[in-house]
Amino acid sequence: MKPFHPFTFWAIFTSLSVGVVLSDSALCALVALCGAALIVALKKDEGPWRNSFRWSLIAGTFLLAVRAITGAVIGVPRIGRTIFTLPRISLPSWLPGIRIGGDVTIERLTSSLHEGLIIATVIALFGAANSVTSPHKLLRVLPTRIYQLAVTLTIATSVFPQLISSIYRIRSAQFLRSGKRPALTSIAIPLLEESLGRAVNLAESMEARGYGQSKIHSRYRPITYSTQDISWMAVGLLAAIAMVAI
Amino acid sequence: MISFSRVSLIYPHSTTTVIEDLSFEIAEGEMVLVMGRTGSGKSSLLRLMNGLVPHHTGGILGGEIVVDGKSTRTTKPGELAGIVGIVGQNPIDTFIADTVEDELAFGMESLNFPPDVMRKRIEEALDQVGLAPLRNRTISTLSGGEQQRLAIASALVMHPKVLVLDEPTSALDPVASEEILAILHRLVHDLSVTVVLAEHRLERVIGYVDRILLIEGDGNTSIGLPSEILAKTDLVPPIVRLTRALAIDEIGTSTREVRRITEPLREDLVDFPRPSHSPGAIALTVNEISARYEDKSALNKISLTLREGEITALMGRNGAGKSTLIKCIVGLIHAAEGSVEVLGEDLRKIPQSKRSQLIGYIPQEPGDLLYLTTVLAECDRADRDNSVASGTTLRLLHSTLPQISPESHPRDLSEGERLALVLAIVISGSPKILILDEPTRGLDYEAKNRLMATLHSLTRDQGVSVLMATHDVEIVAEVADRTIFLADGEKVADGATIDVLLASPAFAPQVAKVMSPRRWLTVGDVLRAREIS
Repeated sequence: MKPFHPFTFWAIFTSLSVGVVLSDSALCALVALCGAALIVALKKDEGPWRNSFRWSLIAGTFLLAVRAITGAVIGVPRIGRTIFTLPRISLPSWLPGIRIGGDVTIERLTSSLHEGLIIATVIALFGAANSVTSPHKLLRVLPTRIYQLAVTLTIATSVFPQLISSIYRIRSAQFLRSGKRPALTSIAIPLLEESLGRAVNLAESMEARGYGQSKIHSRYRPITYSTQDISWMAVGLLAAIAMVAI
Repeated sequence: MISFSRVSLIYPHSTTTVIEDLSFEIAEGEMVLVMGRTGSGKSSLLRLMNGLVPHHTGGILGGEIVVDGKSTRTTKPGELAGIVGIVGQNPIDTFIADTVEDELAFGMESLNFPPDVMRKRIEEALDQVGLAPLRNRTISTLSGGEQQRLAIASALVMHPKVLVLDEPTSALDPVASEEILAILHRLVHDLSVTVVLAEHRLERVIGYVDRILLIEGDGNTSIGLPSEILAKTDLVPPIVRLTRALAIDEIGTSTREVRRITEPLREDLVDFPRPSHSPGAIALTVNEISARYEDKSALNKISLTLREGEITALMGRNGAGKSTLIKCIVGLIHAAEGSVEVLGEDLRKIPQSKRSQLIGYIPQEPGDLLYLTTVLAECDRADRDNSVASGTTLRLLHSTLPQISPESHPRDLSEGERLALVLAIVISGSPKILILDEPTRGLDYEAKNRLMATLHSLTRDQGVSVLMATHDVEIVAEVADRTIFLADGEKVADGATIDVLLASPAFAPQVAKVMSPRRWLTVGDVLRAREIS
């Protein structure tokens, strides 16, 4: 298979998340999520960014849980079938309409689950876009005009995976020394020093190699859109339109 | 090509000048070695050459630096990109793209080179460093030597007149380091590129350089031919120490020269029986362990024993499985097959707290263990952690490094001092086994001698068993009783250091190359042979 343009998947997943938000339907969200999972599973990219879909799923699930619990406990009362009743905390009179605790109805639970699911799906879709596109390749197609942003992006994307391996290395070194799980600060300090040093090294290397010298960049083996990219993007867009239409 | 006139450098918030009143000139096509102790300002000096200091780092620059007719005061590093190529200490930190070709194209793209020129130059650079077969590879899958070659190639695509390298061989095994130096040698001779490099392992580079710039650390700096500079400093490679110890006035910088000078010695001296060190009981046994990374075999049925009071060196090319083996021994990973026994007990059955008491581990980056704000605080913490009398760790540290101030910040220490601190912290717990991962990277000779003295007293006086993974053949020749050689996850040699090192020409120490076919590894060996004769 020909390599995709780095923007292709970003376009697909952005249109899907717009579709999910506009349609505001849990079914659409679930379908989009399954689609994203399928694409991530099919597209085997090498590289540390590959895991970002999984991480975004974890983050999304966490958010969903938080949203469901807070939604059920705090908020405007909603009439419906009561599942169970929580003790109610009385609030001062100048906070009318808001309550903590009280009756938890099916309607309230489902509506907060529904909202949580939409948010979690949007997060997961961005995670998926990240997971199938090399950040380095993405940088190569960004316009030179946003030079400063591109520098920041490069440093962020290349430092992050190395950060994970540094954390592992420092943690195991300290674990071996004391036989105990090391405290957060004891990892954070060597880690901070190392990442700062690394970021400075990278920035120096970019500068020494003339980055930002010329307003116009040329492209070695430029990345162009192929019919494959365009058709995939069209599929993404159509899916989004379909979601809104339904 | 490069001219420094009366250059001084001081960093902000610092009271000491890094460089003071330095003047010298480097001609086109010269290869110059910058040497000095750690922390003497070598890296700063190198980065002055393309203006990264002070444009990028800050600092006050006095005097004038002119590179190829351009003053670095008024020219920014980016504008010098086509003149000075710089290769940093850790190439992996400086890569921007994720594949080899993209990385090479990066600098040229920034300077808006037309695509056809880029194609041609990338081909050229790939050929110059021998990376053509790896052009489409992801950078993170390259070995250390390949990454170093890529870093050099990405400087070369800009057709620089000057190539500046900061410790280009320090992370590499002897074979990969030879390859890098051969490339540099070719650049100097065929393309008249001016090469300036800093390196602690003088034995690796000394034969290649035209001149040496010595930073003495007390503000004095001198530049001259290798024979002139080496005559007046303590920072010398083993072959110079050899001629010095033999009271020969002539200074040779290549094996060939010194072989000629020492011809009579090789004929006259008699061999002596090497003092055979009688090792103690078995401290650790590795039984046929195998480990895999995903689908690749990393270790294949390795067995070895470490004995009390013995120093064992673990050698092999980058990626041969040294780190994996160490991780298995300290219990960070559990091998798929086989077992590790410490003092007769299965490692897996020993609780972690007891393991840490038995096995001391010095990581490749000693700084990983440090997080407090003063040396004293780190020492106190070690006393508490290891439940020893207060002041024990500091006393251990001062026994090797008396000049270190307890109030200084661990981050301000040089590599050598930091290693001494971490060693003191770890050995204050009196471990039975001490594991060191690549301890000599970035160390100058002084710090290395200190390390050797510490290891010697640990093993001989306290019966500690030491395992040291390293690329440094010289320290292996000096201290290791036994050497284990790994290749491709398999043990290919295990025996007395002298037998293992002499068996492979690439891994033979400098003195051994000079004295071949006699079986002497170090200056000490030669002196002993002379005494006996």
